[in-house]
Amino acid sequence: MQYKVLEKDKISGFLDYLASKHNLMAPVSEDESFSQFKRVYQASEINLNYTNTVIPPKNYFFPPAENLFSFSAENGGIEIKESRQAENMVIFGLRPCDINGMSMLDPVFNGNFPDSYYGPKRERTILIGLSCQEVMPTCFCKSFGTDPTDGSGADLMLTGLENCFLVEILTDKGAGLLENAGGFFSDESVDKAISEKKLLRDKLAGAFLREPDLSGVKEILDKNFEHPYWEELAAKCIGCGICTFVCPTCHCFNMIDTSRPDATGSRYRCHDSCMFPGFTKMAGGHNPRPTRVERVRNRFMHKLKYHLDRYNLDGCSGCGRCIAKCPVNIDISQIITHIREVVKDD
Amino acid sequence: MTDLTGGNPLLPNIATIASIRRETGDVKTFQVVFDDPLAVQSFAHKPGQVALISVFGEGEATISITSSPTVKGFLEFSIKKVGRLTSVLHEIEAGAKVAVRGPYGNGFPLDEMKGKNLLFVGGGIGLAPLRSLIDYVLAEENRSDYGNVEILYGARSMADICFKEDLFNKWTACKDTRVYTTIDREEPEWSGHVGFVPAYLEEIKPVSNNKVAITCGPPVMIKFILMSLQRLGFTEERIITTLEMKMKCGIGKCGRCNIGSKYVCLDGPVFTLKQLKELPPEF
Repeated sequence: MQYKVLEKDKISGFLDYLASKHNLMAPVSEDESFSQFKRVYQASEINLNYTNTVIPPKNYFFPPAENLFSFSAENGGIEIKESRQAENMVIFGLRPCDINGMSMLDPVFNGNFPDSYYGPKRERTILIGLSCQEVMPTCFCKSFGTDPTDGSGADLMLTGLENCFLVEILTDKGAGLLENAGGFFSDESVDKAISEKKLLRDKLAGAFLREPDLSGVKEILDKNFEHPYWEELAAKCIGCGICTFVCPTCHCFNMIDTSRPDATGSRYRCHDSCMFPGFTKMAGGHNPRPTRVERVRNRFMHKLKYHLDRYNLDGCSGCGRCIAKCPVNIDISQIITHIREVVKDD
Repeated sequence: MTDLTGGNPLLPNIATIASIRRETGDVKTFQVVFDDPLAVQSFAHKPGQVALISVFGEGEATISITSSPTVKGFLEFSIKKVGRLTSVLHEIEAGAKVAVRGPYGNGFPLDEMKGKNLLFVGGGIGLAPLRSLIDYVLAEENRSDYGNVEILYGARSMADICFKEDLFNKWTACKDTRVYTTIDREEPEWSGHVGFVPAYLEEIKPVSNNKVAITCGPPVMIKFILMSLQRLGFTEERIITTLEMKMKCGIGKCGRCNIGSKYVCLDGPVFTLKQLKELPPEF
């Protein structure tokens, strides 16, 4: 890996440069409790100290609603016009859990039958990670093998240190971006910065309030599909679906047509949630997951077992959004711990 | 199939409904022809696979392909009026434009069934995916690959029997083929068997030796048929069924049709009973 150093007083210049040359998305704090990724035009808009955005950056590749194609009646036939578009984009300031979340989502859309909407957007985007400076009470990325300074999956990784940012060049895309912005970076004091980053990493590793132990959890889930624990959990859930909408790895969607009286219209897809009763209800009324028990179980099984079985990747990045937003305090990190304990009690 | 849509698997191919045949009060068979001759040639399906049919402005539904790949030039879909999109389909007339994408899913294990006798057990509209395989096996070019064929079909009433022409004329006339039909309750004009499919199956007592049983029907009926087949000595590997789940994308992304770690749209819809028993009971 190649390293560079960016002096702290040059970060604004670098971000202004990025904003002038690219479609730049970066974390913006709307108020004390609400940050989001947004198109920015200058460095001053960006909050480098944000903790986590409410909505995950997956929305740039898999938007909440996306037009797939439009159709119109033409001379007794039908004409279809694809709505695919992907602009070059740089996303700056991604936290490691969100970068990891994207890596977990990639095989779904880029695997068999590659998705024509997600793939090109992902391909044309440069991801710049930014190490966390603190660990939030809801964070547990450590359990999923990442840490708050881990840039795996990004093209460049920046870590804010006392006087500078350490810049890790992780891919050719990242190297290409830096090549054109060479003036901001230096090779001086790289070793010192690397040592400082290690200290930060160790400090953050000791700051987690949640460290659920994942070892053996998949095997426990394999054997406890019918465990009454799922009923207990489902009794709390109100089925609002917020956990799925804020999740960086949830990928379920619906496809819906709209039409107008002049026989034109479009087909779009939108985020959907396995927490909703209609999600699996078939025409004719049969529903394989008829109650909240099956639906809650499906979500946690999907995160902790099904995704692993299918893609050999975790289905959760430990970002903590679902914990922070659940109105009834259902907590996947506690479930990981509880499931082991309830099975022990049997 | 050949890529006609710039590589976008979510774009369907436009097709025209060439003809519509009424099977029962609520089932119609739609014969569909792609507008693009290239699509006609390149849509190569296996019996048991599904396709997504679009009615523009209304949406898409996953429907099993009823016609055999041995029949060229068109596809057939036998569709029961059970929901919103199927109700719209039942209202449209021949000549209407629809669109089709696919074929998706695994299809029946044609090679593994070679050299075996075949027992088909279907109920109601559940005969639709089986019909594709029955016609494939009975087609002249494939007939010698498979042994005797038995077809057991049940419907609620005489009026609910699908594919009457196939059941009472075409298949019955085929060599080494036997067709059994039953309806649930007595009717004055019905001289055939009366009773539920699983009970009739146990009455017929087909020998399980060197035989594969393929079944499809309403979920409740399937559960009883699977039990009956096991009582008759069919092993879990020799019992094959097709599942129906709600699907939107058909290609393993929308997350609707999972049963545990499997997606019915990719890993199914065809499963052996052995495979089903390894899945959570959410179907």
